[in-house]
Amino acid sequence: MNRREFVASACAAGALVVALRPAGAQVSLIKHASTQLPLGDFVRIAANGDVLYHFTKHEMGQGVATAMAQILCEELCADWSRVKIEFPLVDLPRYENERYGGYGTGGSCTLIYTYDMLRQAGAAVRQMLVNAAAELLDVPAAELFAENHFVVHKATSRRLSFGELAPLAAQLPIPDHVELKDERSFTLIGRPTSSKLTPQIVTGALKYGSDIKLPGMRYALIARCPVFKGKLKRYDARAALKIKGVHKIFTTQPIAGLQEVSFLPHDIREGVVVVADSFWAAFKAREALEIEWDEGEIGKLSSADFERLTAERARQRTDPTGFIGAENAVADLARVRKTLRASYVYPHQLHSCMETLNCTAHVREDECELWLGTQSAGLVVSEVARLLDLPEDRIKLHMLPSGGGFGRRAYTDMAVEAAFISREAGNIPVKMMWTREDDQRCNLAHLFQHMEYQAGLDAENRLYALHEKEIRTYTWGEQYANPSLPRMAYDIANLRYDFEDLGSYELLQSSAWRGVDVHGRALSECFIDEIAAEVGRDPLEFRLSLLTPGREIFIGGEHTLSSDRMRALLELTAQKAGYRASLPQGRGMGIALIPYASSYCCAVADVTVTDGRLTINKITAAVDCGRIINPSGAEQQIVGGIIWGLTALFYGGAPVVNGRIQHSNFHENRLLRMHECPPIEAILVDSPEPRPLGLGEMACPLAVPAVLNAIFAATGKRIRRIPLPADLRNA
Amino acid sequence: MARIELNVNGHRHAVEVDDPAMPLLWVLRDALDLTGTKYGCGMGQCGACTVHLEGQAVRSCSVPVSAAAGKRVTTIEGLSPDGRHPLQLAWQLLDVPQCGYCQAGQIMSAAALLARNPHPSDDEIVQAMSGNLCRCGTYPRIRAAIKHAAQNMEVSKA
Repeated sequence: MNRREFVASACAAGALVVALRPAGAQVSLIKHASTQLPLGDFVRIAANGDVLYHFTKHEMGQGVATAMAQILCEELCADWSRVKIEFPLVDLPRYENERYGGYGTGGSCTLIYTYDMLRQAGAAVRQMLVNAAAELLDVPAAELFAENHFVVHKATSRRLSFGELAPLAAQLPIPDHVELKDERSFTLIGRPTSSKLTPQIVTGALKYGSDIKLPGMRYALIARCPVFKGKLKRYDARAALKIKGVHKIFTTQPIAGLQEVSFLPHDIREGVVVVADSFWAAFKAREALEIEWDEGEIGKLSSADFERLTAERARQRTDPTGFIGAENAVADLARVRKTLRASYVYPHQLHSCMETLNCTAHVREDECELWLGTQSAGLVVSEVARLLDLPEDRIKLHMLPSGGGFGRRAYTDMAVEAAFISREAGNIPVKMMWTREDDQRCNLAHLFQHMEYQAGLDAENRLYALHEKEIRTYTWGEQYANPSLPRMAYDIANLRYDFEDLGSYELLQSSAWRGVDVHGRALSECFIDEIAAEVGRDPLEFRLSLLTPGREIFIGGEHTLSSDRMRALLELTAQKAGYRASLPQGRGMGIALIPYASSYCCAVADVTVTDGRLTINKITAAVDCGRIINPSGAEQQIVGGIIWGLTALFYGGAPVVNGRIQHSNFHENRLLRMHECPPIEAILVDSPEPRPLGLGEMACPLAVPAVLNAIFAATGKRIRRIPLPADLRNA
Repeated sequence: MARIELNVNGHRHAVEVDDPAMPLLWVLRDALDLTGTKYGCGMGQCGACTVHLEGQAVRSCSVPVSAAAGKRVTTIEGLSPDGRHPLQLAWQLLDVPQCGYCQAGQIMSAAALLARNPHPSDDEIVQAMSGNLCRCGTYPRIRAAIKHAAQNMEVSKA
């Protein structure tokens, strides 16, 4: 580490306070001369020894607040019971640093980006405490070591607590050079740890965005157009204004339309907002609004129309995005004896965050304050600054935990809506909320994916060529897909990937969703099963035959894919699941094995099908995602990810009829409930990777292909789209 | 304007509401600042707003505040004086929550179950808890934590 990355400072009220400051591409540690501590400081050790860690990402259930504190405190050698986590006021100049992702939280990237930085910071603060102890004990620093909130003198066993050392340590320079701990001596990294937020969660004390209340605050609900790209024709608020407690009613047309936000374009629907003294008054007044919408072209279209279009496009000839071997190998009649073809559909999905979208905003003359759980703090600040025509440093953002993000809270619409309403209502504090009906009917959705597969078998029944064509509706602003090859590590001589974006034809605005585009592309695991069945081979043995030992292949992303790690993961999962190809009639096991970014994931589903009714006996899921920081949180992400996928399998989709989503609440758009939740075993692979590689989204795409393959093993029936019908005989 | 007397977590409150049909949920959250009880669906589908009314688990989004007048209401904030109800301890020990938003409702449903049935079978737990949704997928740990708490309550009584 560069010696100039850490900058020294002074003490504050007897506490050692260390902050981060970006210095070019790096992050520096600084200390503050002022006793007025700017929130956003990184770590503070009080004179009583309490360690306060200011968390700088968005906590939405993925557990990174605790995991990040574990990494920091491992190097700090802190007593975990003395560590508290606090949510900061966003301070973009201090933290907006691309190398570590700033405040942005998504893509399963948080620990990948922050692991080294947190270790360095923890080690630097530890060294300052050691240096302080060296002065106080008058011994060389080399004779001291830190352990469990104390600095100990090896020879004499004399020791000083972190609290005793903090005031002096605060006077010392941040060290030029820090030594990281030997990974073999880790005690906190790798220890199953209960979330630091749980004590507040179980008593109802943890404040989410929707729990904010400000003096003079009013409540706002927006009646949004139920049809994507629809317009507000006219509205009559006379009856609504008679509801007691209603303050103001006006349109949100000025902020509506496509938001050209870098990387994350999205839509804000036209609507009419009610501002009232209470949620309930706003709710009743909204119901009393008379609104006429111009539903436009989409008002005449339904999901079936869109799916017809995608199926047509899937069969049309395109140029490949990428290929290995020969471009048209599937059609090479000199080599190919037989071709297989199959279409798979992963329809739009809703996020259904348990905490509906909301934002509290208070716009004043020359500034705006926001209270929000967001995955995209930087974008929120820039978008609200743009709306209000204010400099970005006049936007103060209080980042709060949220009741689920799943990609939906990466968008800035709720902040733009709330800030607009606060201003238009007369610069008053406003809590803008979405009801569950808003969430289900007028929301962004997971992209639609139609996967068209072709395979060519040669005269010896070997898999000679595989062709994947993807029709999807969201491309993160780019007209290409990454990886530009099928997302698989299999050793196939001729591989090809075609890609087409039909986003401009869709009936909903597509967006990021937990697991992103891997959901559709993981359905290649079903097609691999189809090929195995065609050539009469066991799906496990067939996969192994396609994973040549020692082979590394680059398909895109940051790392090559290792056949050896895929093989090891597959064999381990199969063994733990008690995988058997041959089972009694009606029972079957199905495998799904996918690389995800630089991680690897595998699941085996064990199912029984009786008279068309599916019972999942067990799902065994294993992930090789590098170093595990918190095995308890990691297991939650795997189990939760499988359940996420099962909801899509059984109940997912956002069917549209005449432009309107048919689901309005959880009685129609169902989520998996406890009585439907099968036993799930999560396996954390002892990875050869020394660093964490990301985990939050890895298990999500496994459940659908694993269960579909198991259904085939049990029944011989191949199902190629979700959600499943209640009676599989109708699939 | 109607004046309604409420007994929440052992404290008496008089609230003025424009509409006696206003759900108890919004009175708890917006008038009494008891924000531990969450809004999830507004129609009794998700259980995030579960509180106890005279000891019974109810969905506060679907109970008009007038129906709670004069009755004992318990929210997550009042489940135990010190946050050490066996369920709250079990939730911490087994690291149950992920985002945590639904967990107050989960715990209140579980507390009502254990109050009427201190030794629930696995099936009884699943039956009692299937009205509570969790998008993060914490069901297996919720189930385990309820069993753990039930065992602990037994021990502490013995």
